[in-house]
Amino acid sequence: MTMEGTKPAEARIRARDRALALLNNITTYVAFAGIAGVGIFGTVSALTIPGVSASPSSGATASATTSNASDSTSSDSSSSSSSSSGLSSSSGSVSSSSSSGVAVSGGS
Amino acid sequence: MSDIVLWYTTRGAGAVSMILLSAVVILGVLSSLRFQSAGWPRFLTPALHRNLALMTLVFLGLHIVTAVVDPFTHLGWLTVVVPFSSYYRTFWLGLGTIAFELLAAIVVTSLLRGLIGQAAWRAIHWLTYASWPVAVLHSFGTGTDALSGWFMVLSIVCVGSVTMAIVYRILVPSTDPLAAARGEFRSGVSRKPDQ
Repeated sequence: MTMEGTKPAEARIRARDRALALLNNITTYVAFAGIAGVGIFGTVSALTIPGVSASPSSGATASATTSNASDSTSSDSSSSSSSSSGLSSSSGSVSSSSSSGVAVSGGS
Repeated sequence: MSDIVLWYTTRGAGAVSMILLSAVVILGVLSSLRFQSAGWPRFLTPALHRNLALMTLVFLGLHIVTAVVDPFTHLGWLTVVVPFSSYYRTFWLGLGTIAFELLAAIVVTSLLRGLIGQAAWRAIHWLTYASWPVAVLHSFGTGTDALSGWFMVLSIVCVGSVTMAIVYRILVPSTDPLAAARGEFRSGVSRKPDQ
């Protein structure tokens, strides 16, 4: 075997080693990316879970409904007014008990 | 571990499994084209395909284990191996079980390729084309996030990428210069009687 024959063989070996190192690196990166992906997608799914809003508007709705109910009780009006935050009022009528004065809001 | 953490881990691992499985399918389709360049030898594509397939099984295992041990659904271990045996979303979970078993069959036969022979391995490997769409259907039907914007984008990217790879594979012929000689050799081997 001459030197001309061994040099390309060594070059091929070095190229194969570089390719194997690249394969190992890609596999490692993908593994870590997958682990991070589980956390990221889990967090994103937690924040976007259907039926739950991440904004505090649900709490505002509850307080607005309470205030509407108390307002309608004190003024003895059947229709409740909308709050300043722009939330729509309940479609159901608000009635009060004559004995205890506890207001019960209709609808949801 | 908190129940809610298990649930979120199930969903996160499911999304990662779908991405990895799509990547595995794409690499498998493209490896038949025998692509190579100066910095990307030909063996790298099937080797990466194999590594990612094994990694997919790991994340799929995480997806399955966290779903089964989650006390909210009470799925039970029978659901993992028997399709449509779950009371919870029976059909869509059954699709997931089928996809998992198809993928497990593909991986096991790939590891035993020397024992079962090339023809049997290739025939079973075609099951990938059934496993991937079944898994995607499972994610659409079972997934709590199926209608979420981020999951829709993820699904469109995965489905679009695999579709493009398959179309590319169909339209572009193999660049293997030894394809004809290899085909003749295979046909000659198959005709040769056992002695």
